[in-house]
Amino acid sequence: MNARALRALVRKDLLLELRGREVVPSMAVFVAAAFVLFRFGLGGTDLAGGTRAATGMLWVAIVFTALVGLSRSFAHEREGGTWDGLLAAPVDRALFWAARTCSTFLFLAAVQVVALPAFWLFFLQEHAGPSYPVLVAAVLLADVGIACLGSLLAGLASSVRAREVLLPTLFLPFSIPLVLTAVRVTTDTIPPQTGGLDTLGRLGFLALYDTVFALLGWALFEYVVED
Amino acid sequence: MRSSETIVCAGLRRRFGERDALAGLDFVVEAGETVLVTGPNGAGKTTLLRILATVLRPTSGRVAVSGHELPARAADVRREVGYAGHDPLAYPDLTARENLELYAALYAVPDARVAEELDRVGLDGRRGDRAAELSRGMLQRLALARVGLHRPSIVLLDEPTAGLDAEGRDVLRRFLAEPGRTIVVATHEPAWFDGLGGRVVAMAAGRVAA
Amino acid sequence: MPHTARLDRATAATLVAASLMAAAVALIFFYVPSDVDQGYSQRIFYFHVPIALTTYTLFAWGALNAARYLWTGREDLDLKSYVPMHLGVIFGSLTLVTGSIWAHISWGTWWDWGSRELNTFLIIFLFYCAYFMLRFSVEPGARRSRYSAVYALLGVGLIPLSVLAVRIAQDALHPIVFRSNGVNMDGSMFLTFCVALAAMLSLAVSMYLVEMRGKRVDERLAQLRRLAQEAA
Repeated sequence: MNARALRALVRKDLLLELRGREVVPSMAVFVAAAFVLFRFGLGGTDLAGGTRAATGMLWVAIVFTALVGLSRSFAHEREGGTWDGLLAAPVDRALFWAARTCSTFLFLAAVQVVALPAFWLFFLQEHAGPSYPVLVAAVLLADVGIACLGSLLAGLASSVRAREVLLPTLFLPFSIPLVLTAVRVTTDTIPPQTGGLDTLGRLGFLALYDTVFALLGWALFEYVVED
Repeated sequence: MRSSETIVCAGLRRRFGERDALAGLDFVVEAGETVLVTGPNGAGKTTLLRILATVLRPTSGRVAVSGHELPARAADVRREVGYAGHDPLAYPDLTARENLELYAALYAVPDARVAEELDRVGLDGRRGDRAAELSRGMLQRLALARVGLHRPSIVLLDEPTAGLDAEGRDVLRRFLAEPGRTIVVATHEPAWFDGLGGRVVAMAAGRVAA
Repeated sequence: MPHTARLDRATAATLVAASLMAAAVALIFFYVPSDVDQGYSQRIFYFHVPIALTTYTLFAWGALNAARYLWTGREDLDLKSYVPMHLGVIFGSLTLVTGSIWAHISWGTWWDWGSRELNTFLIIFLFYCAYFMLRFSVEPGARRSRYSAVYALLGVGLIPLSVLAVRIAQDALHPIVFRSNGVNMDGSMFLTFCVALAAMLSLAVSMYLVEMRGKRVDERLAQLRRLAQEAA
């Protein structure tokens, strides 16, 4: 594993985002707007379904916000035509996937630094919320899985004409097991419940999900970029 | 294949959808040769270079670079090949230096060489400027810096004279005059290279023109 | 290839499938005794489960050929991967329809959100549909074949994860009707189930062979057209 090349590629993504400011701000605005929408959708003044429903909606928001960000993955390579330069380099193709996964994870985490407090503000004022350590752990684990799978699929969709529609279509079936488990693990820690061993098991599932798609992403990315 | 043949193509074919960009190309380049590939648009020059750079896979036929068969041994070829494509292959929002530092990392080349190469192509003063702020001629020079970074023994240039400025012309001529490299240039202006001792190969419709 | 009067594989398979289907239908409607709890309409089970199992088999077959395609690059494997996946969508739709009917019989609603099997299947069916969308979005060629194969292999990761996720996301075990049948099936029920399963699998095989035969003809035609154009 070429650590120097990986660092350089991630640095490239971060520098480009810092200067272009396309992805992270858009995702932050998107997630805030989504929360407002959900709040009103769930009843506005009185929260229908209470904190349980709100926590579920948080995960929906996380997935859709991630998709907004993923749609810009590899956009610099595609629009600038720089893929040829990268592909001609003597590095394992999977490294490009690994670098994109790291950057995506960082972008997701950056947005969630804003999103989670916003979530607390919009939904958790009236009633008690889920356990925050569990919530943060679940969010970070989910971020890894989304980044791994999302980078692979974004690479695939990137060279297809209908990419804006295709990426969500390809991604969403895979988000279902993730959301199912994440919703369960977080809502189960809303008082009076406390979670317990089941919580660890479900967090473990998220880690398993991450492992599976990390392995698949690593193995399959070269088939996505070769021409 | 004789050991002095650095590049060998036999019956090389590359299909895009319904169209054959390369339709059975036979092409040989000896070690240390400079070859100018000419031909109209659509003749397949860019496709040929991209296949030699291992960026594109052949559909059928045989292609070998430095004794390595493509696409099977593509990974072995990349270190020895420097490729400057039609586009500058630079990230607009990264500075000239940052662009080269990325490639230095990808090619496992010490960072110090970045400054050397920028100096060699006369972009040392502009190294902190974003690629988007550089003129077309400067971007061409930046591409030449990138290509030279890892001291490849085989260099593939696609239309290197397009948009080249005065200083760039000198840089390119000096680059091409350096001995010991096998060079393939796709160009619309073979006359520009007069005096550099290049052999001309004309292509048409995906094959070497008769 | 000389065209003989012998039966080709596709036709032979279709005849076998038709016979087994006839046998299965006969057994399901006239032979097997009614379920103690749910009565006559429970017989949908003998369609639903074999169709579901056939769908999973088709998926496994498609995924296997996808892996072989990526490993070897042989073009024919793309078709051999795509056709099972495509048939999987058909059988998958039938699974959902029969599952819905069964839910109505069991619970009175047209879907059973408590059923693990149905929910897992729903996820997989969505995956199949997405595979289809991918196929439609890319022009035919090596790239489409590669992308399809990659996505099919991603599905291999999805299936066990879905089974697990649905399982651990649910509280109590929702009493699933076919559990009680699966373990306690008596001789006649088991026979009927096996014949129905064999019938569905052979139906899938015959549809596969027929579709492959049709696609080979299409490809040959396209090839001949290309050769004619080049000669002109």
